Amino acid sequence: MLEVYTWEPNANSGKPLFFLKEKRVPFVLHYIDMGKREHLSPAFLRINRDGTIPAVVHDDFVMTESTPIMEYIDDAFDGPALRPTDPYWRWRMRQVMRYMDNQVAPSLAMMASNRLAAPQFQGADPAELKRELDKIPLPERRAAWEKLMFNSTPPADLAESVRRVGAAIRYFDARLDETAWLAGPEFSLADINVFATFYGLPTSQPDQVNAQTTPHLWDWLRRCHARAGLQQAFKLGKGYIGQRAAEARSLLGVAEAAA
Amino acid sequence: MIELFHGGPDGYSAAVLITLAEKGLAFESQELDLAAFAQHEPGFLAINASGQVPVLRDGGRTLTESFFILLYLDARYPELPLGGADPQGRYVVQKWGKYVETHIAPNLALVDWAMRGRAPGEAERVRLATLAPERQALWAQALAGFAADEVEAARAALAKAADRIAEELAGQDWLAGADWSLVDAIVFPHAARFASLGIAVPAVLADWLARAGRRPAVRQALGSAGSVPGVATMGPERGRWG
Repeated sequence: MLEVYTWEPNANSGKPLFFLKEKRVPFVLHYIDMGKREHLSPAFLRINRDGTIPAVVHDDFVMTESTPIMEYIDDAFDGPALRPTDPYWRWRMRQVMRYMDNQVAPSLAMMASNRLAAPQFQGADPAELKRELDKIPLPERRAAWEKLMFNSTPPADLAESVRRVGAAIRYFDARLDETAWLAGPEFSLADINVFATFYGLPTSQPDQVNAQTTPHLWDWLRRCHARAGLQQAFKLGKGYIGQRAAEARSLLGVAEAAA
Repeated sequence: MIELFHGGPDGYSAAVLITLAEKGLAFESQELDLAAFAQHEPGFLAINASGQVPVLRDGGRTLTESFFILLYLDARYPELPLGGADPQGRYVVQKWGKYVETHIAPNLALVDWAMRGRAPGEAERVRLATLAPERQALWAQALAGFAADEVEAARAALAKAADRIAEELAGQDWLAGADWSLVDAIVFPHAARFASLGIAVPAVLADWLARAGRRPAVRQALGSAGSVPGVATMGPERGRWG
Protein backbone atom coordinates (compact mmCIF):
# COMPACT_ATOMS: atom_id res chain seq x y z
CA MET A 1 0.00 0.00 0.00
CA LEU A 2 1.37 3.36 -1.09
CA GLU A 3 0.06 6.45 0.72
CA VAL A 4 0.83 9.95 -0.50
CA TYR A 5 0.47 12.97 1.77
CA THR A 6 0.71 16.07 -0.35
CA TRP A 7 -0.89 19.29 -1.51
CA GLU A 8 -1.40 20.43 -5.09
CA PRO A 9 0.16 19.10 -8.32
CA ASN A 10 2.78 21.84 -8.13
CA ALA A 11 6.56 21.92 -7.44
CA ASN A 12 7.73 19.50 -4.72
CA SER A 13 4.13 18.67 -3.71
CA GLY A 14 3.43 17.71 -7.28
CA LYS A 15 6.42 15.46 -7.89
CA PRO A 16 4.92 12.22 -6.46
CA LEU A 17 1.61 12.91 -8.23
CA PHE A 18 3.13 13.52 -11.67
CA PHE A 19 5.53 10.64 -11.16
CA LEU A 20 2.98 8.06 -9.94
CA LYS A 21 0.59 8.84 -12.79
CA GLU A 22 3.42 8.38 -15.32
CA LYS A 23 4.58 5.22 -13.54
CA ARG A 24 0.97 3.95 -13.39
CA VAL A 25 1.27 2.87 -9.77
CA PRO A 26 -1.96 3.05 -7.74
CA PHE A 27 -1.86 5.03 -4.50
CA VAL A 28 -4.05 6.53 -1.78
CA LEU A 29 -3.96 10.33 -1.77
CA HIS A 30 -4.23 12.24 1.53
CA TYR A 31 -4.74 15.87 0.54
CA ILE A 32 -2.87 18.16 2.94
CA ASP A 33 -4.29 21.66 2.71
CA MET A 34 -1.33 24.00 3.11
CA GLY A 35 -3.65 27.01 3.09
CA LYS A 36 -5.13 25.64 6.32
CA ARG A 37 -1.61 24.81 7.64
CA GLU A 38 -2.48 21.11 7.75
CA HIS A 39 1.20 20.27 7.15
CA LEU A 40 1.88 21.71 10.63
CA SER A 41 -0.94 19.80 12.34
CA PRO A 42 -0.04 17.28 15.07
CA ALA A 43 -1.44 14.48 12.88
CA PHE A 44 0.90 15.27 10.01
CA LEU A 45 3.89 16.04 12.25
CA ARG A 46 3.58 12.46 13.52
CA ILE A 47 4.32 11.33 9.94
CA ASN A 48 7.00 13.95 9.23
CA ARG A 49 8.37 15.84 12.23
CA ASP A 50 9.93 18.42 9.87
CA GLY A 51 6.47 19.45 8.64
CA THR A 52 7.40 19.36 4.95
CA ILE A 53 5.37 17.83 2.16
CA PRO A 54 5.24 15.53 0.34
CA ALA A 55 5.51 12.46 2.53
CA VAL A 56 5.07 9.01 1.04
CA VAL A 57 4.52 5.91 3.15
CA HIS A 58 5.05 2.48 1.61
CA ASP A 59 3.73 -0.09 4.06
CA ASP A 60 5.51 1.25 7.17
CA PHE A 61 8.45 2.91 5.43
CA VAL A 62 8.18 6.70 5.66
CA MET A 63 9.87 8.90 3.05
CA THR A 64 9.97 12.70 3.06
CA GLU A 65 12.40 13.76 0.32
CA SER A 66 10.56 14.30 -2.96
CA THR A 67 13.40 13.51 -5.37
CA PRO A 68 14.67 10.36 -3.57
CA ILE A 69 11.00 9.28 -3.27
CA MET A 70 10.73 9.16 -7.06
CA GLU A 71 13.95 7.14 -7.30
CA TYR A 72 12.66 4.73 -4.64
CA ILE A 73 9.34 4.06 -6.36
CA ASP A 74 10.99 3.66 -9.77
CA ASP A 75 13.33 1.18 -8.09
CA ALA A 76 10.72 -0.77 -6.09
CA PHE A 77 7.66 -0.91 -8.39
CA ASP A 78 6.80 -2.33 -11.79
CA GLY A 79 5.77 0.02 -14.58
CA PRO A 80 7.57 2.04 -17.25
CA ALA A 81 11.22 2.67 -16.26
CA LEU A 82 11.66 6.39 -15.69
CA ARG A 83 15.42 6.43 -15.10
CA PRO A 84 18.03 5.87 -17.84
CA THR A 85 19.90 2.58 -17.42
CA ASP A 86 23.19 3.97 -18.76
CA PRO A 87 25.28 5.18 -15.76
CA TYR A 88 26.28 8.44 -17.48
CA TRP A 89 22.74 9.45 -18.45
CA ARG A 90 21.55 8.51 -15.00
CA TRP A 91 24.24 10.83 -13.59
CA ARG A 92 22.96 13.55 -15.94
CA MET A 93 19.38 12.97 -14.72
CA ARG A 94 20.51 13.51 -11.12
CA GLN A 95 22.60 16.55 -12.02
CA VAL A 96 19.55 18.19 -13.65
CA MET A 97 17.39 17.39 -10.61
CA ARG A 98 19.95 18.75 -8.17
CA TYR A 99 20.27 21.99 -10.15
CA MET A 100 16.50 22.27 -10.15
CA ASP A 101 16.02 21.37 -6.48
CA ASN A 102 18.83 23.50 -5.06
CA GLN A 103 19.04 26.49 -7.37
CA VAL A 104 16.05 26.97 -9.63
CA ALA A 105 12.93 25.78 -7.79
CA PRO A 106 13.73 27.73 -4.57
CA SER A 107 14.27 30.87 -6.69
CA LEU A 108 10.88 30.47 -8.38
CA ALA A 109 9.31 29.71 -4.99
CA MET A 110 10.78 32.93 -3.56
CA MET A 111 9.41 34.94 -6.49
CA ALA A 112 5.96 33.32 -6.51
CA SER A 113 5.41 33.40 -2.74
CA ASN A 114 6.45 37.05 -2.51
CA ARG A 115 3.93 37.84 -5.24
CA LEU A 116 1.07 35.62 -4.05
CA ALA A 117 1.49 34.88 -0.33
CA ALA A 118 3.20 37.96 1.14
CA PRO A 119 0.28 40.38 0.48
CA GLN A 120 -2.07 38.13 2.50
CA PHE A 121 -0.20 38.99 5.69
CA GLN A 122 -0.37 42.75 5.30
CA GLY A 123 -2.13 44.29 8.29
CA ALA A 124 -2.14 41.06 10.32
CA ASP A 125 -1.40 41.13 14.04
CA PRO A 126 2.39 40.66 14.41
CA ALA A 127 1.99 38.68 17.64
CA GLU A 128 -0.34 36.26 15.84
CA LEU A 129 2.16 35.91 12.97
CA LYS A 130 4.96 35.15 15.46
CA ARG A 131 2.82 32.38 16.96
CA GLU A 132 2.29 30.94 13.47
CA LEU A 133 6.04 31.10 12.80
CA ASP A 134 6.85 29.26 16.01
CA LYS A 135 4.89 26.25 14.74
CA ILE A 136 7.30 25.72 11.82
CA PRO A 137 9.85 23.06 12.85
CA LEU A 138 12.68 23.74 10.35
CA PRO A 139 14.72 26.90 11.05
CA GLU A 140 15.46 27.53 7.35
CA ARG A 141 11.77 27.28 6.50
CA ARG A 142 10.87 29.51 9.44
CA ALA A 143 13.31 32.14 8.13
CA ALA A 144 11.66 32.14 4.68
CA TRP A 145 8.15 32.45 6.13
CA GLU A 146 9.27 35.24 8.43
CA LYS A 147 10.38 37.22 5.37
CA LEU A 148 7.02 36.60 3.71
CA MET A 149 4.92 37.48 6.76
CA PHE A 150 6.83 40.68 7.46
CA ASN A 151 7.44 41.50 3.80
CA SER A 152 11.20 41.64 4.40
CA THR A 153 12.71 39.64 1.54
CA PRO A 154 15.73 41.73 0.48
CA PRO A 155 15.21 43.13 -3.05
CA ALA A 156 18.71 41.90 -3.97
CA ASP A 157 17.64 38.32 -3.11
CA LEU A 158 14.59 38.63 -5.35
CA ALA A 159 16.74 40.05 -8.16
CA GLU A 160 19.15 37.13 -7.78
CA SER A 161 16.24 34.70 -8.03
CA VAL A 162 15.03 36.38 -11.22
CA ARG A 163 18.56 36.07 -12.63
CA ARG A 164 18.76 32.38 -11.73
CA VAL A 165 15.39 31.54 -13.26
CA GLY A 166 16.36 33.36 -16.46
CA ALA A 167 19.67 31.49 -16.59
CA ALA A 168 17.87 28.17 -16.03
CA ILE A 169 15.40 28.84 -18.83
CA ARG A 170 18.28 29.48 -21.27
CA TYR A 171 20.27 26.51 -19.93
CA PHE A 172 17.39 24.04 -20.34
CA ASP A 173 16.56 25.40 -23.79
CA ALA A 174 20.19 24.76 -24.86
CA ARG A 175 20.17 21.28 -23.32
CA LEU A 176 16.95 20.40 -25.14
CA ASP A 177 18.60 21.38 -28.42
CA GLU A 178 21.09 18.52 -27.78
CA THR A 179 18.72 15.78 -26.59
CA ALA A 180 14.97 15.21 -26.86
CA TRP A 181 14.52 15.04 -23.08
CA LEU A 182 16.50 16.55 -20.21
CA ALA A 183 18.49 13.40 -19.42
CA GLY A 184 18.97 11.97 -22.90
CA PRO A 185 16.76 10.36 -25.52
CA GLU A 186 14.11 9.08 -23.09
CA PHE A 187 11.60 10.81 -20.81
CA SER A 188 12.83 10.52 -17.19
CA LEU A 189 12.54 11.78 -13.62
CA ALA A 190 14.53 14.85 -14.70
CA ASP A 191 11.67 15.89 -16.99
CA ILE A 192 9.06 15.28 -14.27
CA ASN A 193 11.13 17.25 -11.76
CA VAL A 194 11.54 20.30 -14.00
CA PHE A 195 7.98 20.13 -15.37
CA ALA A 196 6.55 20.16 -11.81
CA THR A 197 7.89 23.70 -11.46
CA PHE A 198 8.04 24.89 -15.11
CA TYR A 199 4.60 23.79 -16.37
CA GLY A 200 3.15 27.29 -15.99
CA LEU A 201 6.00 29.34 -17.46
CA PRO A 202 4.22 30.00 -20.80
CA THR A 203 1.66 32.05 -18.86
CA SER A 204 3.78 33.34 -15.92
CA GLN A 205 6.93 34.25 -17.91
CA PRO A 206 5.62 34.86 -21.47
CA ASP A 207 8.48 37.24 -22.36
CA GLN A 208 11.14 34.67 -21.50
CA VAL A 209 9.40 31.44 -22.52
CA ASN A 210 7.80 31.43 -25.94
CA ALA A 211 8.07 29.70 -29.32
CA GLN A 212 10.56 32.27 -30.69
CA THR A 213 12.90 32.87 -27.74
CA THR A 214 13.10 29.32 -26.37
CA PRO A 215 11.94 27.01 -29.19
CA HIS A 216 13.38 23.83 -27.66
CA LEU A 217 11.95 24.44 -24.20
CA TRP A 218 8.63 25.38 -25.82
CA ASP A 219 8.51 22.13 -27.78
CA TRP A 220 9.46 20.18 -24.65
CA LEU A 221 6.65 21.88 -22.69
CA ARG A 222 4.22 20.90 -25.48
CA ARG A 223 5.37 17.27 -25.35
CA CYS A 224 5.15 17.17 -21.54
CA HIS A 225 1.72 18.81 -21.38
CA ALA A 226 0.43 16.34 -24.00
CA ARG A 227 1.30 13.31 -21.82
CA ALA A 228 -1.77 11.61 -20.40
CA GLY A 229 -0.10 10.85 -17.05
CA LEU A 230 0.93 14.44 -16.40
CA GLN A 231 -2.53 15.69 -17.38
CA GLN A 232 -4.16 13.20 -15.00
CA ALA A 233 -2.02 14.47 -12.13
CA PHE A 234 -3.38 18.01 -12.58
CA LYS A 235 -6.88 16.60 -12.02
CA LEU A 236 -5.86 15.60 -8.47
CA GLY A 237 -5.64 19.23 -7.35
CA LYS A 238 -8.43 21.12 -5.64
CA GLY A 239 -7.20 24.66 -6.15
CA TYR A 240 -6.29 26.87 -9.06
CA ILE A 241 -3.31 24.80 -10.27
CA GLY A 242 -5.42 22.74 -12.68
CA GLN A 243 -6.79 25.94 -14.20
CA ARG A 244 -3.28 27.36 -14.60
CA ALA A 245 -2.17 24.16 -16.37
CA ALA A 246 -5.19 24.33 -18.68
CA GLU A 247 -4.25 27.91 -19.60
CA ALA A 248 -0.69 26.77 -20.39
CA ARG A 249 -2.01 23.91 -22.57
CA SER A 250 -4.22 26.35 -24.43
CA LEU A 251 -1.29 28.73 -25.10
CA LEU A 252 0.87 25.81 -26.22
CA GLY A 253 -1.87 24.48 -28.48
CA VAL A 254 -1.99 21.13 -26.67
CA ALA A 255 -5.21 19.15 -26.81
CA GLU A 256 -6.73 17.46 -23.76
CA ALA A 257 -5.56 13.84 -23.67
CA ALA A 258 -8.14 11.06 -23.75
CA ALA A 259 -8.97 9.92 -20.21
CA MET B 1 41.63 5.18 -16.99
CA ILE B 2 39.75 7.06 -14.25
CA GLU B 3 41.16 10.49 -13.48
CA LEU B 4 40.22 12.28 -10.26
CA PHE B 5 40.74 15.97 -9.54
CA HIS B 6 40.48 16.36 -5.77
CA GLY B 7 41.54 18.42 -2.79
CA GLY B 8 43.08 15.65 -0.71
CA PRO B 9 41.34 13.43 1.87
CA ASP B 10 38.84 16.01 3.12
CA GLY B 11 35.09 16.46 2.72
CA TYR B 12 33.66 15.45 -0.62
CA SER B 13 37.08 14.64 -2.13
CA ALA B 14 37.66 12.13 0.68
CA ALA B 15 34.30 10.46 -0.04
CA VAL B 16 35.39 9.71 -3.61
CA LEU B 17 38.93 8.68 -2.59
CA ILE B 18 37.49 6.28 0.00
CA THR B 19 35.02 4.79 -2.48
CA LEU B 20 37.70 4.27 -5.15
CA ALA B 21 39.77 2.49 -2.49
CA GLU B 22 36.80 0.39 -1.31
CA LYS B 23 36.23 -0.78 -4.87
CA GLY B 24 39.94 -1.25 -5.54
CA LEU B 25 39.82 0.98 -8.62
CA ALA B 26 43.06 2.39 -9.99
CA PHE B 27 42.99 6.06 -10.94
CA GLU B 28 45.19 8.95 -11.91
CA SER B 29 45.30 11.42 -9.02
CA GLN B 30 45.29 15.18 -9.67
CA GLU B 31 45.51 16.83 -6.28
CA LEU B 32 44.75 20.54 -6.02
CA ASP B 33 45.93 22.72 -3.14
CA LEU B 34 42.65 24.27 -2.02
CA ALA B 35 44.35 26.43 0.62
CA ALA B 36 46.24 28.06 -2.28
CA PHE B 37 42.98 28.39 -4.30
CA ALA B 38 44.24 26.07 -7.07
CA GLN B 39 40.59 25.21 -7.84
CA HIS B 40 40.13 28.74 -9.18
CA GLU B 41 42.98 28.60 -11.69
CA PRO B 42 41.94 28.91 -15.34
CA GLY B 43 43.07 25.37 -16.20
CA PHE B 44 40.72 23.89 -13.62
CA LEU B 45 37.84 26.27 -14.33
CA ALA B 46 37.97 24.99 -17.91
CA ILE B 47 37.25 21.53 -16.46
CA ASN B 48 34.64 22.64 -13.92
CA ALA B 49 33.35 26.21 -14.28
CA SER B 50 32.06 26.23 -10.70
CA GLY B 51 35.62 25.85 -9.38
CA GLN B 52 34.79 22.97 -7.07
CA VAL B 53 36.37 19.58 -6.46
CA PRO B 54 36.08 16.67 -6.87
CA VAL B 55 35.73 16.11 -10.60
CA LEU B 56 35.90 12.64 -12.13
CA ARG B 57 36.87 11.85 -15.69
CA ASP B 58 36.00 8.44 -17.04
CA GLY B 59 35.67 7.15 -20.59
CA GLY B 60 35.97 10.64 -22.06
CA ARG B 61 33.27 12.07 -19.83
CA THR B 62 33.60 14.68 -17.09
CA LEU B 63 31.43 14.31 -14.00
CA THR B 64 30.86 16.74 -11.13
CA GLU B 65 28.62 16.62 -8.01
CA SER B 66 30.33 14.35 -5.51
CA PHE B 67 27.40 12.25 -4.39
CA PHE B 68 26.35 11.57 -7.98
CA ILE B 69 29.95 10.65 -8.81
CA LEU B 70 29.67 7.99 -6.08
CA LEU B 71 26.38 6.68 -7.50
CA TYR B 72 27.93 6.68 -10.99
CA LEU B 73 30.98 4.71 -9.81
CA ASP B 74 28.70 2.18 -8.15
CA ALA B 75 26.66 1.67 -11.33
CA ARG B 76 29.64 1.70 -13.69
CA TYR B 77 31.80 -0.59 -11.52
CA PRO B 78 29.19 -2.78 -9.82
CA GLU B 79 31.58 -5.27 -8.27
CA LEU B 80 31.22 -4.80 -4.50
CA PRO B 81 27.94 -2.84 -4.67
CA LEU B 82 27.84 0.06 -2.19
CA GLY B 83 24.58 1.79 -3.10
CA GLY B 84 22.28 -0.01 -0.62
CA ALA B 85 21.11 -3.62 -0.46
CA ASP B 86 17.45 -3.08 -1.39
CA PRO B 87 15.14 -0.19 -2.39
CA GLN B 88 14.80 0.97 1.22
CA GLY B 89 18.57 0.94 1.73
CA ARG B 90 19.00 2.81 -1.55
CA TYR B 91 16.45 5.44 -0.40
CA VAL B 92 18.43 5.93 2.82
CA VAL B 93 21.60 6.41 0.77
CA GLN B 94 19.86 9.01 -1.42
CA LYS B 95 18.31 10.77 1.55
CA TRP B 96 21.68 11.20 3.27
CA GLY B 97 23.43 12.21 0.06
CA LYS B 98 20.98 15.08 -0.16
CA TYR B 99 21.19 15.91 3.54
CA VAL B 100 24.99 16.20 3.41
CA GLU B 101 24.67 18.49 0.40
CA THR B 102 21.98 20.77 1.82
CA HIS B 103 22.50 20.67 5.59
CA ILE B 104 25.98 19.44 6.49
CA ALA B 105 28.57 20.51 3.87
CA PRO B 106 27.51 24.19 3.54
CA ASN B 107 27.33 24.71 7.31
CA LEU B 108 30.58 22.85 7.96
CA ALA B 109 32.37 25.06 5.42
CA LEU B 110 30.92 28.18 7.02
CA VAL B 111 31.95 27.25 10.58
CA ASP B 112 35.35 26.06 9.43
CA TRP B 113 35.95 29.30 7.52
CA ALA B 114 34.82 31.42 10.46
CA MET B 115 37.39 29.67 12.67
CA ARG B 116 40.33 29.24 10.32
CA GLY B 117 39.65 30.89 6.96
CA ARG B 118 42.66 32.56 5.41
CA ALA B 119 42.07 35.48 3.05
CA PRO B 120 43.48 34.90 -0.43
CA GLY B 121 46.39 36.86 -1.85
CA GLU B 122 45.84 39.57 -4.45
CA ALA B 123 46.15 37.25 -7.48
CA GLU B 124 43.62 34.77 -6.05
CA ARG B 125 41.29 37.60 -5.07
CA VAL B 126 41.26 39.00 -8.60
CA ARG B 127 40.56 35.56 -9.97
CA LEU B 128 37.34 35.27 -7.92
CA ALA B 129 35.76 37.57 -10.52
CA THR B 130 36.11 34.76 -13.09
CA LEU B 131 33.78 32.44 -11.12
CA ALA B 132 30.08 31.94 -11.77
CA PRO B 133 27.96 34.67 -10.09
CA GLU B 134 26.68 32.40 -7.28
CA ARG B 135 30.22 31.26 -6.39
CA GLN B 136 31.46 34.85 -6.49
CA ALA B 137 28.68 35.88 -4.12
CA LEU B 138 29.52 33.06 -1.69
CA TRP B 139 33.21 34.00 -1.66
CA ALA B 140 32.38 37.67 -1.22
CA GLN B 141 30.46 36.73 1.95
CA ALA B 142 33.33 34.57 3.17
CA LEU B 143 35.90 37.35 2.65
CA ALA B 144 33.66 39.91 4.33
CA GLY B 145 33.26 37.50 7.24
CA PHE B 146 30.08 35.68 8.16
CA ALA B 147 27.90 37.37 10.78
CA ALA B 148 27.93 35.88 14.29
CA ASP B 149 24.28 34.82 14.06
CA GLU B 150 24.95 33.02 10.77
CA VAL B 151 27.82 31.09 12.35
CA GLU B 152 25.60 30.27 15.33
CA ALA B 153 22.82 29.00 13.02
CA ALA B 154 25.36 26.87 11.13
CA ARG B 155 26.63 25.40 14.40
CA ALA B 156 23.07 24.59 15.46
CA ALA B 157 22.46 22.87 12.11
CA LEU B 158 25.58 20.73 12.57
CA ALA B 159 24.62 19.81 16.14
CA LYS B 160 21.22 18.69 14.83
CA ALA B 161 22.92 16.75 12.03
CA ALA B 162 25.11 14.95 14.60
CA ASP B 163 21.97 13.90 16.49
CA ARG B 164 20.24 12.70 13.31
CA ILE B 165 23.26 10.64 12.26
CA ALA B 166 23.32 9.08 15.74
CA GLU B 167 19.60 8.36 15.48
CA GLU B 168 20.03 6.60 12.13
CA LEU B 169 22.86 4.48 13.60
CA ALA B 170 20.77 3.20 16.51
CA GLY B 171 20.95 -0.59 16.45
CA GLN B 172 23.06 -0.92 13.32
CA ASP B 173 26.75 -0.72 12.43
CA TRP B 174 26.44 1.45 9.32
CA LEU B 175 24.07 4.18 8.18
CA ALA B 176 22.19 2.16 5.56
CA GLY B 177 22.12 -1.10 7.55
CA ALA B 178 24.49 -3.98 8.21
CA ASP B 179 26.98 -3.10 5.45
CA TRP B 180 29.18 -0.13 4.66
CA SER B 181 27.67 1.96 1.86
CA LEU B 182 28.21 5.17 -0.10
CA VAL B 183 26.40 7.11 2.60
CA ASP B 184 29.01 6.12 5.19
CA ALA B 185 31.70 7.24 2.74
CA ILE B 186 30.09 10.65 2.27
CA VAL B 187 29.08 11.34 5.88
CA PHE B 188 32.35 10.15 7.46
CA PRO B 189 34.78 12.85 6.23
CA HIS B 190 32.29 15.55 7.23
CA ALA B 191 31.32 14.14 10.64
CA ALA B 192 34.98 13.42 11.43
CA ARG B 193 35.48 17.21 11.60
CA PHE B 194 32.69 17.92 14.11
CA ALA B 195 34.75 17.52 17.31
CA SER B 196 37.51 19.88 16.17
CA LEU B 197 34.87 22.51 15.37
CA GLY B 198 33.38 22.19 18.84
CA ILE B 199 30.25 20.28 17.75
CA ALA B 200 29.09 17.75 20.36
CA VAL B 201 29.55 14.17 19.14
CA PRO B 202 27.10 11.61 20.61
CA ALA B 203 28.68 8.34 21.77
CA VAL B 204 27.06 6.25 19.02
CA LEU B 205 28.48 8.65 16.42
CA ALA B 206 31.94 8.54 18.02
CA ASP B 207 31.86 4.71 17.90
CA TRP B 208 30.86 4.76 14.23
CA LEU B 209 33.65 7.26 13.40
CA ALA B 210 36.18 4.97 15.10
CA ARG B 211 34.79 1.92 13.27
CA ALA B 212 34.95 3.74 9.92
CA GLY B 213 38.48 4.95 10.64
CA ARG B 214 39.67 1.34 11.04
CA ARG B 215 38.57 0.30 7.56
CA PRO B 216 41.54 -0.41 5.28
CA ALA B 217 40.04 1.65 2.45
CA VAL B 218 39.52 4.64 4.72
CA ARG B 219 43.09 4.38 6.05
CA GLN B 220 44.38 4.09 2.50
CA ALA B 221 42.44 7.21 1.44
CA LEU B 222 43.51 9.24 4.46
CA GLY B 223 47.14 8.32 3.81
CA SER B 224 49.98 9.27 6.11
CA ALA B 225 47.98 11.99 7.92
CA GLY B 226 45.75 9.26 9.33
CA SER B 227 42.85 11.64 9.90
CA VAL B 228 40.65 14.07 7.97
CA PRO B 229 42.80 17.23 7.86
CA GLY B 230 40.15 19.87 7.19
CA VAL B 231 40.66 22.57 4.59
CA ALA B 232 38.92 25.91 5.07
CA THR B 233 37.18 26.58 1.76
CA MET B 234 33.64 27.20 0.54
CA GLY B 235 31.38 24.19 0.02
CA PRO B 236 27.94 24.09 -1.61
CA GLU B 237 25.86 27.21 -0.91
CA ARG B 238 23.22 27.15 1.81
CA GLY B 239 19.61 27.03 0.71
CA ARG B 240 18.37 30.52 -0.18
CA TRP B 241 14.67 29.90 0.41
CA GLY B 242 13.29 27.40 2.94
